[in-house]
Amino acid sequence: MSRSKALQYYIVSRLLFAPLQLLTIITIVFLLLRATPGDPADAILGGRAPESAKEELRKQLGLDLPIWLQYLNYLGNILRFDLGTSLTSRGQNVWEIISQHFPATAELAVSSMLIALIVGIFVGTISASRPGTSFDVGGRLFGIITYALPMFWVGMLLQLIFSVQLRWFPNSNRFPPNLPAPETITGLYTLDSLLGGNLSQFFTALHHLALPSLTLGILLSGIFERIVRVNLKQTLKADYVEAARARGISENKILISHALKNALIPVITVLGLTFASLLGGAILTEVTFSWPGLANRLYQAISDRDYPTVQGVLVFFGAIVVTASILIDILNAYVDPRIRY
Amino acid sequence: MVINWFSVSIRRWNKVTKFLSLFCLCLLLAVSCTPSQQTTTPIAGDGRITLGTTAKPRTLDPADAYELGSLGLVFNMSDRLYTYEPGSTEIKPQLATALPKVSEDGLTYTIPLREGVVFHDGTPFNAKAMEFSIQRFIENKGKPSFLLSDTVDSVQATGDYELTIKLKKPFAAFPSLLAFSGVCPVSPQAYEIGAGKFQPNTFIGTGPYKLAQYGTDSLRLDVFDQYWGEKPANKGVNIQIQTSPVNLFNAFQTGAVDVAYLSLQPDQIKSLEAGAKKGDWQAITAQGSVVSYMVLNRNQQPLDKPEVRQAIASLIDRPLLNERVLFNQADPLYSMIPTTFNVSQPLFKDKYGDGKFEEAKKLLTTAGFSQVNPAKIQVWYPASSPTRSLAAQTLKSLADTQMDGILQLEVKTVEGATFFKEISKGLYPIALLDWYPDFLDPDNYVQPFLACEKGSEAKGCETGGSQTQGSFYYSETMNQLIDQQRKEQNPEARKKIFSDIQNQVLTDVPYIPLWQNKDYVFAQKNVSDVKLDPTQNLIYKNIKK
Repeated sequence: MSRSKALQYYIVSRLLFAPLQLLTIITIVFLLLRATPGDPADAILGGRAPESAKEELRKQLGLDLPIWLQYLNYLGNILRFDLGTSLTSRGQNVWEIISQHFPATAELAVSSMLIALIVGIFVGTISASRPGTSFDVGGRLFGIITYALPMFWVGMLLQLIFSVQLRWFPNSNRFPPNLPAPETITGLYTLDSLLGGNLSQFFTALHHLALPSLTLGILLSGIFERIVRVNLKQTLKADYVEAARARGISENKILISHALKNALIPVITVLGLTFASLLGGAILTEVTFSWPGLANRLYQAISDRDYPTVQGVLVFFGAIVVTASILIDILNAYVDPRIRY
Repeated sequence: MVINWFSVSIRRWNKVTKFLSLFCLCLLLAVSCTPSQQTTTPIAGDGRITLGTTAKPRTLDPADAYELGSLGLVFNMSDRLYTYEPGSTEIKPQLATALPKVSEDGLTYTIPLREGVVFHDGTPFNAKAMEFSIQRFIENKGKPSFLLSDTVDSVQATGDYELTIKLKKPFAAFPSLLAFSGVCPVSPQAYEIGAGKFQPNTFIGTGPYKLAQYGTDSLRLDVFDQYWGEKPANKGVNIQIQTSPVNLFNAFQTGAVDVAYLSLQPDQIKSLEAGAKKGDWQAITAQGSVVSYMVLNRNQQPLDKPEVRQAIASLIDRPLLNERVLFNQADPLYSMIPTTFNVSQPLFKDKYGDGKFEEAKKLLTTAGFSQVNPAKIQVWYPASSPTRSLAAQTLKSLADTQMDGILQLEVKTVEGATFFKEISKGLYPIALLDWYPDFLDPDNYVQPFLACEKGSEAKGCETGGSQTQGSFYYSETMNQLIDQQRKEQNPEARKKIFSDIQNQVLTDVPYIPLWQNKDYVFAQKNVSDVKLDPTQNLIYKNIKK
């Protein structure tokens, strides 16, 4: 089979496999929520409401049905793209919640990923190009420490230093409440303010975004640093690099023009895997910085036993991760000619 | 594409790198040097107040609002038929023009209404609109609907500006119930009646502020130009929602918010109070109406013996708890009815005192316990509360060090959702809890705790308030006293009944009062007239800047 045909076959099979992955996510989320202690009727009506009212509500919400029937109903609704209505913000559709909160998460995730890539590749390259030196040791330590540090702790520490003590950055939230937020186009404040041509709003939005995205970005950068360092070190020992050296090409040119671009291919794979960590990290970052994103809303919904919102948001996150991993796999297949499927 | 990008010449790559580095550096400098609205006082002279809170509103629909975050906003954007004088539990008319006329049998309330009031959408307010709003409150079956559905039989507009409400049973505290934030008129043009038909993101009432913007982490309230009453002293309120007390504490310290309210932790309040003493900002304190108490489950051994419950009442050292756990940010409480009401009597202080360990040992010995056969009891609390955790540990420590091994307390915790589901099933022998009143009347500190619909002296309460609270207390005398006080319209006669109720609680000890909270608000120096309503609501319209 030719490479292009194999690639087409691979893409189709990946796309066909995606619904199965999503179904697994939906099933696990559904079962986990039902196994969690706590009753949504209590969460909605409160402990002081009469038991008869709670019973009526359980019936109304279909929570009195056998679990397999609830599951089938839920699957049916998902197929109709109906994620249900929030149990706590009653009257609000889950899609509405997602559309209100997701832009904040997307803005944080994209900026954090950019920071993670820039820092990780930079530190990894420095580390690999000077093996055995203090740069290498420092780079390795950086990778291990950032990977191991708990997000909420680093977030609070950075808040204390840069916000409370130095007052360089705002302590929390996405935009000052006393200023009009950028007009919604994409929901990403930095982008919307630029599209609206308002630089003052852009800098204000960026000012608020800086600390949370730096926190999440730097903590994720350790993964990329490790990958780049290991791969670049191996690449620098490759025959074609030796040949380039023999031809008298400078070390910098070899490093950047020849070795780095090959060493970066595994980064694309890791990028897909890191996407799930990114969304997980976003929950802690958003809660730490009062960032009004979807992950923060998810945290609140879990505390409230708001089944439809938790299920809806997790399925949405699941769909993003599955889509991202497919795209990364396809990109990987295109970029690396050695890959065969 | 990716390959092409990597294929740029080394010179171009260097240029790009240099440009990017320089750009990043300049951007970082520009961003970090930009004067932030968060780190300076928000726009001087715009007359708007920025309020920071952790109380995120779950909904703005008054028929479904039942938490402080939601009710506080509804309170400030609405009017009720009756309201409280600031700092007092006395009600006064707001959209009503006088206190209600009550029929001889105590079942019919006739309320005259104010004319010339309009809703935020321009719809005129009248008795029909009030009838619609009360019916909606009941029929939409929101979280607080039981407050009226248990009490109200019918609501009718008996004139353009006259409302008649018929009750199922006499209830002397009914006007206080009408002062509940959610029982406010909403525009019939904007809302619907029907189970579950809520509007969580909008609010159209008659109050001094209208909702201008409801964002994911902030809200903007603008002054309502057509407000019938006294206009607010500020030009609007911006509310910033924080996810944690730490963020609120930091936001206030850095001047990002003018006023910080709800829910700072005791150590943060202590620190901010110290700052206020130095003159950095202002600390405003008010007597709260929230009570903290201990539930004793009479259906679990050894708490089925009254002497054991009384021994625990003698063991409690409220001043110690107040000092160690709350940094003196509360008042010791000696009755389930807080001192906010004149019917409150400090009977627990007179009979059991504080830290009376010898008395406690005697009572336990009488009940048949000794060092060889100690009374072993579990103390539970919901995991989310650091204050209750410390209180439970302090009580355990008192039992361990002062009771000579006759009493052994074991502290246990469980996640909140599980705790509140299981407490009414009788799983917890002792539980530490707080009570946030629905309306300000002594009845709300008695009936939900002590009344029982079905039960017996032998089995305890099977259905009713005391079963829901986890004490399973049952007393026919108590049920009769509660009914009597609900019927009694004469304040003095009612006071006597409350005295009898408190005496009965003193003997039976189904609950032990621990402390009554103080409410704290912190305001920057350039802000004045920060006041709290006795129902814990911050009154926005008085605040000046």
